Amino acid sequence: MQSLINILGTLAASVLFALVAALVGGFLAGLDRKVSARMQGRVGPPLLQPFYDVIKLFSKEGVRVNGVMDAYIMVALVFTAIAGGIFFTGGNLLLCVFVLTLGELFFILAAWSARSPFSDVGAQRETLQVMAYEPMVLLMAVGFYLATGSFDVSCVLHLPAPIAGPLVGILIGFLFVLTIKLRKSPFDLSYSHHAHQDLVKGITTEMSGPTLAYVEIMHWLENVLFLGWVALFFVWASPLAILVVIVVLAAVYFLEIWIDNNFARVKWQAMLWSAWLVTLVVAGVNLAVLIYL
Amino acid sequence: MELMGFLILFPVFVAALLMVVRQEFARKILVCASAGVIAVTSVVFVALNVGTLGQYYEFESEVVNYLCFGIDCLVGVTVLCYAAKYRNIISALLAIVMLALCVVFEFFVLPGTTCARGLYFDSLSLIMILIIGIIGSGIIVYALGYMKDHYNHNPSQPDRSHSFFALMFVFLGAMYAIVFCNNLVWLLTAWEVTTLCSFLLIGFTKTQESIVNSFRQIIMNMIGGIAFQVALFYLVFNFQLLDFAQFIVYGAYAPALFVFPLTCLTLAGMTKAAQMPFHTWLLGAMVAPTPTSALLHSSTMVKAGVFLLLKCAPIYAVSFAPSLLIILIGGVTFLLTSLMAISQTNAKRVLAYSTIGNLGLICACAGVGTTEAMWAAVFLIVFHAVAKSLLFLCVGTAEHHISSRDIEDMDLLFERMPKLARLMLLGIMIMFIAPFGMLLAKWATLVSFVDTRQFILLLLLAYGSAGTFMYYAKWMGKLTGIAAEPTNVELEVHHTEWFALFGMAAIAVGCCVVMPLISNVFVEPYIISVAGLSIQPISDDNLWLCSLATVAVVGVLLFGLNRKSDKRQVGIYLSGASVDNERRVFNNSKDQPLQATGRNMYMEEYFGETRLKNIGYVCTYLLIVAAFAWAILSMLGIAPLS
Repeated sequence: MQSLINILGTLAASVLFALVAALVGGFLAGLDRKVSARMQGRVGPPLLQPFYDVIKLFSKEGVRVNGVMDAYIMVALVFTAIAGGIFFTGGNLLLCVFVLTLGELFFILAAWSARSPFSDVGAQRETLQVMAYEPMVLLMAVGFYLATGSFDVSCVLHLPAPIAGPLVGILIGFLFVLTIKLRKSPFDLSYSHHAHQDLVKGITTEMSGPTLAYVEIMHWLENVLFLGWVALFFVWASPLAILVVIVVLAAVYFLEIWIDNNFARVKWQAMLWSAWLVTLVVAGVNLAVLIYL
Repeated sequence: MELMGFLILFPVFVAALLMVVRQEFARKILVCASAGVIAVTSVVFVALNVGTLGQYYEFESEVVNYLCFGIDCLVGVTVLCYAAKYRNIISALLAIVMLALCVVFEFFVLPGTTCARGLYFDSLSLIMILIIGIIGSGIIVYALGYMKDHYNHNPSQPDRSHSFFALMFVFLGAMYAIVFCNNLVWLLTAWEVTTLCSFLLIGFTKTQESIVNSFRQIIMNMIGGIAFQVALFYLVFNFQLLDFAQFIVYGAYAPALFVFPLTCLTLAGMTKAAQMPFHTWLLGAMVAPTPTSALLHSSTMVKAGVFLLLKCAPIYAVSFAPSLLIILIGGVTFLLTSLMAISQTNAKRVLAYSTIGNLGLICACAGVGTTEAMWAAVFLIVFHAVAKSLLFLCVGTAEHHISSRDIEDMDLLFERMPKLARLMLLGIMIMFIAPFGMLLAKWATLVSFVDTRQFILLLLLAYGSAGTFMYYAKWMGKLTGIAAEPTNVELEVHHTEWFALFGMAAIAVGCCVVMPLISNVFVEPYIISVAGLSIQPISDDNLWLCSLATVAVVGVLLFGLNRKSDKRQVGIYLSGASVDNERRVFNNSKDQPLQATGRNMYMEEYFGETRLKNIGYVCTYLLIVAAFAWAILSMLGIAPLS
């Protein structure tokens, strides 16, 4: 019975997360475009442009290339929201990671189902991206457990000090793969917001209208969730944590935008090997220190 | 106890009957009925004993002893005959060694030593019984339709279905004996019988390739069998010990005295569980008809290997060298096979690598030996059995209808074989993604590794999981593609095949959904009976949440992907140069029509077998040599004994 209540709580939180994170994520996307534009010496679109875009996408006629893509996308969106619900109710970090991966898989399947040359390659590359960041994400959860003694996200609220200290290596490694997860250049292999595309729109080539709007919203939810993961490193049992988290997240997001604007897209080999190597070195050393010292 | 005897002997009896009944229809009836009897008896037996903490039976029998000796000799002589027929010297030598050890043991070592508690079962046995009884007999039912198609596809081969089915039934009987025998000598006999059965099944088609591969299997598994015999020599000679349960208890109390036999048993378990460097026999086993692969991979053979290792988990938990051996070999095997699978296009080979990798994880869990690790290992066994049998049967059926087992040829299977493709997608998802059982078991594995601070295992697991995602996701991608309306080729699949396929799928999904109950009813009682207490590595809340998610995903997969929609259908984007959108044909730069086709990435130059295999060989051979050096030194009293 208690389990049922907890599960319903998580699901309710997921709905709430979907609503709030869509708003926050949309603003974040607007900010992203604004800051990018300034870096490139442009004025940039209004802050609310991402919302206008999505609303317009919803008003377009829904067309389809096959009958299954919409179902895959909805499943992906729902599980992304549930991953957020698990995270922000203080649930299990590993479960959050796994559920998000499930959403990711369905997104990839949606692209693959189209059997179109561009989205096929996009799907291949997206799978490669998952393979590139997966070890680091798992090791982040492991590091989190070693530092806090629990996989439950809620335990950070009772920590005497933020875990960014003992987990500094893992934090660096995670920030590295975060660029992949946020689909920022130089690791935006499968799909990107920039015009410099070798793949048309890569994984989203065959998605249009309302379907594309859902993908966009899913992307916002993911971004908010990833920033939540970053925040995990900087929370401790003090009201001061709120301020620190805001500053850190602003700095991290600015850094990501800066990287996005200053690096050209790399080949998949460079992405895979650099991500795996960075993971092995920084996360490996960090874990070894935590375990053996 | 009568039921236990029935479960061991009935399949053997059916096998004997099958050798006599050669008429096809009669065989069909007999096979279906016996498979049903075995499955029902297994379920009844389990239902009568749910939650048991272990039941041991006083059972000694000279008749059984002589029978076992006779069977051992028969196994050795059979191998010797085949070795002579096909001029294979190594296997002949091994068979001679095995026979010699067997005779010496029987007449010079064994006399005077008895084992009062001959038979037993505990909750782990119950799980194994369900796997053998339901999955195993399901595969046999499936084989009815499969073998018919097999001979239609290969008219040149003489129809030897009767011996094929007989072997499969003997296999089941031997597996039951393995999970019921507490007397190590009897256990060894059953062990050798499974080795022989899989040898004969792999070489069944008698093609050049299958003969070569069957000898590879027998050589590796004879080495394991001889290691098992050596362990028995040591135990009887030093401790007059034949009682498996007592061996585990003594081993856990005084691991220093049991380093040598445990290392030998580890080697035996490893060979059977196809761990590197012995993994090639399982790769070679896929030349056999698909039901053989399904049986070897899911419910028999390899599961016997990990069963033995898992039983020894309490000893590993407190011993040093043998534990390190199995942990590292399991971990390295998991990583390397997960990466090598990326470079494979042959579906059965991908499945074989996936099996070896997951068995590696089970071995590593057994080596860690804590309650959490055992919990994870049991669930890995359960979910691997249900998902892998489903996948093999799917691939087998696909192969007969698209005439290929290559993943690239499974392009667009989603519409060519709609039901089968969905079942295959389901099986793949159960193998590697949350919220399905296999991933939850891996999650528990991760928890147990981090709790015991297994630094190297954690790294191996992290990278291996990434590889797993890659090779399964791209396979799924091939299956899900939808393009020009292809013809449906699954209309002629046999009823028995559908029955087995849907049955397996239902069981697999059922296991995922009721995972918390399985934990309470079977897994925890076993761990309590071994370790005194049990800690579930994943909370019930999270397990139930995953159950719910499983229902949702399966619902979408099986019922949510129908293609009715009021949206307008449009063609895909072909850079504005489409000629025939349905068939993905466009006008190329020379203004000629060209079909857009794609292949998955296999990254042969990075994840190719030749390169990674050698790394694995170096690591694992060094580990084995080091572990045996340590074991011998500790036997001589030189090495630190812990």
